[in-house]
Amino acid sequence: MAPVLEVIDLRLHYLTRIGEKIQAVDGVSFELKVGQILGVAGESGCGKSTLVNGCMGLNLPPLFHTSGDLRVDGQSLVGMSVEQNRREILGKRISMIPQGALNSLNPTRKVRDLAFDMIRSHDGAADKKEIYEWLRERFDKFGLNADQVLNSFPVQLPAGMKQRVVIGISTLLNPKVVIADEPTSALDVSTQKAVIQLLFNLMDSGIISSMIVITHELPLLRHVADTIAVMYAGEFVEVGSIEQVIYDPRHPYTQTLMGAMLSAEPGQKARKPVFIEGAPPDLKNKIIGCRFAERCPQARAECRTHQQAIRVLAERQVRCDYAQ
Amino acid sequence: MKIFLSLLKSPGFIFGMLLFLGTILLALIPPLTMHLDHQTRVGLPFMPPSGKHWLGTDQMGVDMFALLIQGLRASLYVGFLAGTVATFIGTLIGVYGGYKGGLIDDILTVGTNLFLVIPSLIVLILLSGSIEEGRSLTLIAIIIGCTTWTWTARAVRAQSASLRGRDHVNLARINGYGTFGIVFMQILPYLLSYVFMVFILQTAAGILTEASISMLGLGPYDSISLGKILNEAMKNEALTDGAWWAFAPAMVLITVIVFALYVINTSMEGVFNPRLRK
Amino acid sequence: MFQNHPTLTHILGRAGWYVLTFFVAVTVNFFLPRLGSSNPIDILMAKAGGSSGMDTKAAREKEEAYLKEFGLVQLDRTGNVLRDGSGKPLPTSDWTQFASYLSLSLKGELGSSIIQYPKKVSEVIKRSLPWTLSLQVPTILIGWIIGNILGALAAYKRGAFDKLFYPLALLVSAVPPFCVGILLVYVFGISLEWFPAMGGYDDGLVPALSWTFLQSASYYYVLPFLSIFLIIVGGQAIGMRSMCIYELGADYVRYAKFLGVRESKILQYMFRNAMLPQLTGLALSLGVMVGGALITEMIFSYPGLGMAVLSAIQSNDYPVIQGCTLLITICVLIANFSVDILIGFLDPRIRTQSAGAR
Repeated sequence: MAPVLEVIDLRLHYLTRIGEKIQAVDGVSFELKVGQILGVAGESGCGKSTLVNGCMGLNLPPLFHTSGDLRVDGQSLVGMSVEQNRREILGKRISMIPQGALNSLNPTRKVRDLAFDMIRSHDGAADKKEIYEWLRERFDKFGLNADQVLNSFPVQLPAGMKQRVVIGISTLLNPKVVIADEPTSALDVSTQKAVIQLLFNLMDSGIISSMIVITHELPLLRHVADTIAVMYAGEFVEVGSIEQVIYDPRHPYTQTLMGAMLSAEPGQKARKPVFIEGAPPDLKNKIIGCRFAERCPQARAECRTHQQAIRVLAERQVRCDYAQ
Repeated sequence: MKIFLSLLKSPGFIFGMLLFLGTILLALIPPLTMHLDHQTRVGLPFMPPSGKHWLGTDQMGVDMFALLIQGLRASLYVGFLAGTVATFIGTLIGVYGGYKGGLIDDILTVGTNLFLVIPSLIVLILLSGSIEEGRSLTLIAIIIGCTTWTWTARAVRAQSASLRGRDHVNLARINGYGTFGIVFMQILPYLLSYVFMVFILQTAAGILTEASISMLGLGPYDSISLGKILNEAMKNEALTDGAWWAFAPAMVLITVIVFALYVINTSMEGVFNPRLRK
Repeated sequence: MFQNHPTLTHILGRAGWYVLTFFVAVTVNFFLPRLGSSNPIDILMAKAGGSSGMDTKAAREKEEAYLKEFGLVQLDRTGNVLRDGSGKPLPTSDWTQFASYLSLSLKGELGSSIIQYPKKVSEVIKRSLPWTLSLQVPTILIGWIIGNILGALAAYKRGAFDKLFYPLALLVSAVPPFCVGILLVYVFGISLEWFPAMGGYDDGLVPALSWTFLQSASYYYVLPFLSIFLIIVGGQAIGMRSMCIYELGADYVRYAKFLGVRESKILQYMFRNAMLPQLTGLALSLGVMVGGALITEMIFSYPGLGMAVLSAIQSNDYPVIQGCTLLITICVLIANFSVDILIGFLDPRIRTQSAGAR
C-alpha cells in the first residue's frame, strides 16, 4: 500500500535575529501508512516540534526549508505555492492539533464562527446552515453538548472541553494525517484519557486515517502509538515498533532513555533509574561524528569522527555503527 | 549581561543613544567652554543669526544661542526629575497593588484610574496658576511627576500581578518574608528592565509636559526653559515677524530629545520582548 | 434581571464609577487652586480689602459682587460684607465655600467673569464650546481610525512600507503636539500664506449658519485640524503596529494558519483583537489628547475653550478658569464613558466576566 505521507531526507533550519543558522532538523526520513500511528519521542529541544511544524509544507519564519522532500499521496509539497498549500493541504489533508491547544482559539470569536471560517476558507461556497448542522453532528459524536459549545466563546469553556473543541476543528475536513503535538500536556489524568480515547474513536470511525503523535512523555506513546521514532539533536536515532524500541532498545541513547524512565510496570520496578549526564549539542555549529557521542556510555574514539548513518538492525532502524 | 550586548547590536539603540548623548553634551560642554550670557542684552531685538550670534537674538536682544543652551539644561533637568518622580510613584503603587491583589489592588486601581481620567493638563493648570513666585524648575518637575505617574502605575501593576504566582515568590512568602521584603527582593529585580524602559518614556513625557505648560505661560517663574523660549516667541509675535530663530531651534531640540528617547525605548522593547522580534 | 444582561451590568457599573470620578473632579477643581501661595481667592480678598489702593471703585465693586455671589465672605444682616480691622473682608470657612460652590455649580451657575463683568462664565463657555467640540471630536475620531488602519497595515505588510513608515510615525509622534501646530502656522500660515494663521473665522463676520460664514470657518479649520490629526495618527499608528505584531505572533493565529484559514480572515482576527486594547488606550489617553488639542487651539487663537482658558490665565480671571476646567473635565468624562460602553459591546470577554462566568 502506498504511504500517505513520505518524508525524504528533510532538513529545516531557523534563522536567528542576528543571522545565525540553526539546523534543527537534519536529515529525517520516514513513511506514514494508512492506519499507522507514529510516535515521535525525544527530550525537549531535539527538534520534534520543528519537524512537525515543517511537515505540512508551511514554514513560518524564522523557520526555513533547507532541503529534502515531503510528499502527500505522492504529491510533493516542496515547491508548491503557498496558496495551493493552504487550500488543499493544510487542514484538509494534513491537520495539526497544536501544542498549547488551550490558547489556540481566538478569544473574541465563537467556536462555531472559527469552524465556519476554516471550512469557508477551503470551500468558499459552503452554506452556513449546512455547516452548522454538520458541526452539530460532529460535536455531538464527541460527547460535547454541541449547541452549547458551538455558541460559546473559548473563555467560557473549561480546559478539557477546549482541547476536544480543538481536536474537533482540526479534524473537521477528515484529514488523512493528523499531527498531535503534545496533546496531553497541561491536562489532568482523566482528561488525558478522554483525549486519547477521542483520538482513537476518530481513527476507528474513519474520520482520520493516520496519526503522528509528538511527546516527551514515553508512557503516553506506549498506549497510543504502534511505531516509535526516537529523535535526538535533529535526527532519528532509532525507529521501530513499540515492543522493539521500548522493550529491546538497541541505540545507546534509546537504551539510556528507557532506563531513565521511571515505571511502575511489572518487570521494570527492579531497574534502577539511569541518569543521562550532559546536554545535547548546540545545533548552531556543524557537527562531526555521532551527536550522542559526548554523552554515550558506549562511545569510542571513532564515534566522534565518523558520521553515523541509519542502518537496519534487528528489524528496526538504528543510527549507530556499533550498536548490537 | 548578554542582554546589554544584544542591545548594543541593535541599530535603533545605538542611534537613539548617540542622539541623546549628543544633546546632553550640548547641554554640558558649551557653558564650560564658551562665554554664554543668557541674561544681558547684547544686540537689537530679533537680529537674525550671524557669525557673532549663531542663533540671533530674542525679543529683548539677548543672545539666542545662550538662551537655548540654558533652556536645554533646564528642560533636561525637569524631564529627568519629573521622570524619576513619576516612575518612582507609579512603580511603587503599581508593584504594591499588583502583588497584593484583592481589595488593596482594587482601591489603588480605582485611585489610579481617577487620576488617569481627569486630564493632567487641567490639574497642572489649576495648580500652577495658583503658585506664582515659587514656581521653580524643581517645583514644576515635582508637580509634573505627581500628575503623570498613572500610566506607569497601570503598566507596572500588570507586570507585577503576573509575577505574583511565581514559585520563588510563593517560597519567600512561605518562608515568612514580609510584603516589602518580597516586593523588593523577589518582584522588583524581574521588573528592572521594564521599569527602566518606563523611566525613559516618563522622562520624555516630562520634557513634553514641561514644554506644554511653559508655553501656556505657566512655566518657571525666574528661569528659562525650552518651552518658555517658545512662549516668549509667541507672545512677542516672533512668528508673524518671521523670526524663525526665536522658536525653531527650541522646537527642534525638544523633538530630537523626545525622538531619541522613543527610539531607545523601542529598541529596548525589541530586545526584551521576544514576541516583537521579526 | 441583571443576570441576563451582563452588558447592562457592565454599563451601570461604569456609570457609577464615572459619577464618583465627577465628584472627585469637582472637588479637585475647587481645592487645587487654593493650595498655592498666590491663590486667586486670597488675591481677590486682598484687592477687595482696599489695601492695594490701585483698583478703581468699579473694579472693587466687581470683586465684591463676586465674593458675595460665591459665599466667600461673611455677611452681616443687611447683606454687606463684614470686614476686619484693616478693611479686609472676613472669609467664610473653606467648607462653606465648597458647599456654596457645589450647589451653585449643580444649578449651572458658574459665576461671572471678573474681566468681562457682568458677562457670565456660562456664557463664555456657551460661546466657546461649539468651536472646541466641532474641532476636536471629528479630528480625534478620524485621526484614531486612520492611525490604527495605518498601523495595522505596517504590521501586516512589514518590508519596505514598514521600514519607511515606522520611523516616520515615530518622529511624528515624538514631535510635541504644539510644535506641529507652530510649524504649520509658520509654514502654511505665515510664510506661504495658504491658510489663515489665527482665529476661527474672518474678522467682521458674525457667527451664523450662513454659507459665507461656514465657508470662512472651514478655511480656518484646516490648519488646526491637521495639527491635531497628524499627532494622533502618528501615536495611534505606532501603538497599533505593536499590538498587531503581537497578535500576529499569537498562538491562535498560528493555529489558524495551520488550519489553512484564509489570510484575509486572519487579518480580520488580528485587527479586531488588536483594536480592543487600542480602544482601552484611547479611553486612557483621551485626557492627554484633549489637552494637546486645547494647546493647539491656543496656538491658533481658535475661539474655543482653549483660548478662553488661556486668556483667563493671563488675566487671572479666576471664575472663567474654574468654570472652563470643570467643563473640560466633564467632556472628557463623557467621552471616556462612551468609549467604555463601546468596549463593553465589542469585547466578549468583558461581557462574560461581568456575568460571573469562568
